[in-house]
Amino acid sequence: MIQHILHITHVSKHFGGNVAVSDVSFSVDEKEIFGLIGPNGAGKTTLFNCMTGFFPVTSGDIIFDSKKINTLRPDQICRLGMVRTWQRVKPLGSLTVLENVMIGAFSITNATGEANIMAMEQLHAVGLSDYATKPAGSLPIGLKKKLELARVLASRPKMLLLDEICGGLNHTETDSILAIIRAVRNSGTTIVFIEHDMKAVTSICDRIVVLNSGEKLAEGTPEEITTNPAVIAAYLGGGHHA
Amino acid sequence: MKEIATIAIFGLLAALLPLLIGENPYLTGLLITILMMASLSSAWNILGGFAGQYSFGHAAYFGAGAYTTMILLSRFTVNPLLTVLAGIGVACMIALLTGTIVFRLRGHYFALASIAVAEIVRLSVLNFEFTGGAQGILLADVTLWGVDLNSKNPFYYGMLVVLLCTLFLTAYLKRSKTGYYLQAIREDQDAAASLGIDIARYKNRALLMSAALTSVTGSLYALYIRFIDTSAVLDLRLSIEIILTAIIGGVGTLWGAVLGALLLVPLAEMLRSNVLGDLLVKGGFIPETSTLGLFLKENLAHAHVLVYGIITVLCILYLPKGILGLFRRRK
Ligand SMILES: Nc1ncnc2c1ncn2[C@@H]1O[C@H](COP(=O)(O)OP(=O)(O)OP(=O)(O)O)[C@@H](O)[C@H]1O
Ligand SMILES: [Mg+2]
Repeated sequence: MIQHILHITHVSKHFGGNVAVSDVSFSVDEKEIFGLIGPNGAGKTTLFNCMTGFFPVTSGDIIFDSKKINTLRPDQICRLGMVRTWQRVKPLGSLTVLENVMIGAFSITNATGEANIMAMEQLHAVGLSDYATKPAGSLPIGLKKKLELARVLASRPKMLLLDEICGGLNHTETDSILAIIRAVRNSGTTIVFIEHDMKAVTSICDRIVVLNSGEKLAEGTPEEITTNPAVIAAYLGGGHHA
Repeated sequence: MKEIATIAIFGLLAALLPLLIGENPYLTGLLITILMMASLSSAWNILGGFAGQYSFGHAAYFGAGAYTTMILLSRFTVNPLLTVLAGIGVACMIALLTGTIVFRLRGHYFALASIAVAEIVRLSVLNFEFTGGAQGILLADVTLWGVDLNSKNPFYYGMLVVLLCTLFLTAYLKRSKTGYYLQAIREDQDAAASLGIDIARYKNRALLMSAALTSVTGSLYALYIRFIDTSAVLDLRLSIEIILTAIIGGVGTLWGAVLGALLLVPLAEMLRSNVLGDLLVKGGFIPETSTLGLFLKENLAHAHVLVYGIITVLCILYLPKGILGLFRRRK
């Protein structure tokens, strides 16, 4: 039986007169890799910010794991098992790469030794082991993206929200991140994936929602989305077609 | 482990120092002040260095300890140690009140609020009767377990114990979940929150630890001096000295506060007793009766906060990680 782990129901977010998200609804199944795409300014990051407690929604509800979470704080939502990465990476600059990932691990353990071991595992998984003792702020952007990923993985989330985790990476790096994401899903984590790279999105996602100017434009499998005329007109028409 | 051992060795050496010095009240007094400033700045560092929350009002917690001890002892016959505990209680209440209100807000509100709270405490103490008002509180001799607290050595050891506790706590925090969480908050609050860190709760925790230790130092100081008024224990100047000592030594480090106190307390003492002015005059650089000579004689004694300020500016410009940062450059 398919279990919905996340329901977005009629969610809107206004910034003054600016409607960033407008009456968006969709549901995400357990262990799904769910794509969230749309042109710049479509409202993708804003939706993540609402889902993770950084912005209060203007209206609508967000249900995660059968709990209404739209009035909870970000840290509470994280501890329920929904964890996000940042499009504009947020390394804890003066801490080491290892310590950054340990802080992710501390949400499931209180013991420093254990956090250390878990963090080393995740650094190994994303290929950052060699940088463990470097200050996180000194990494180049591509590696900072990997650090974002390792840090959230260390908290063993039920659900991962990835905001352009492949942005600024080259093909090999993107492929290695996609491989990690597949492995994480196979271990039981549900993933919502914001990405501009259509090849990456269509190759990895089970289903996709397209946002445009804050509104839901389409929802479906990668094939349905890439052949949807409205999507092509609004989004893929601009030379993005894979 | 290495850090624990270093602190232990430091403690041992410091404990032996009075035996070396012998009966020298002036020098012992200076050392007590150094230990006190080191404790205060270390305690401040738990909040300022780890969590990045700069308190400009730590005198409030120092004063809470000092006043609670003095008020209780001047009225009742109680064990002085109990008054230290009561002081911690009062300091923690002030801290909780400040923290619960301010830590919900983003931005630099805490720095501003800490000044405001400290001023409210100072003005209240100044205007209440039971606090001695502007007169302050004077205490007759006290004894503890038969030890006459007129001699200085008990206070030297008392201050040393508080400093060692603070250093051990700092070393422990550096390797603990709480310490890492505080540092995450200092680096990026959004990232910290997204990783499951209850920001207000952890800031409050750091503030409470910091306030409690600061209050103990205040209680000890009151017992040592046996006369307090608001300008001695609740002044903004004290809050500033605590910060500057931490910044000059190296914020966020284990030994920064100790180093800062070792440098700044003797420097302040030299300025206060006009050693520098006297030297310039005696060395023949400045004639005693010249305008400059008279000016220095008048004003240099009050100049130590100004000198701290200048050193701080130089530190921020050239040594952003404090003097300790000098030794870590190559890392
Ligand atoms: N904090 C904010 N205050 C005001 N307006 C905001 C805020 N955050 C986002 N917006 C607005 O909301 C709209 C959606 O922005 P959002 O960042 O969610 O888009 P996005 O789909 O993530 O775009 P991109 O692909 O460029 O990351 C934009 O018009 C943006 O200006
Ligand atoms: Mg975005």
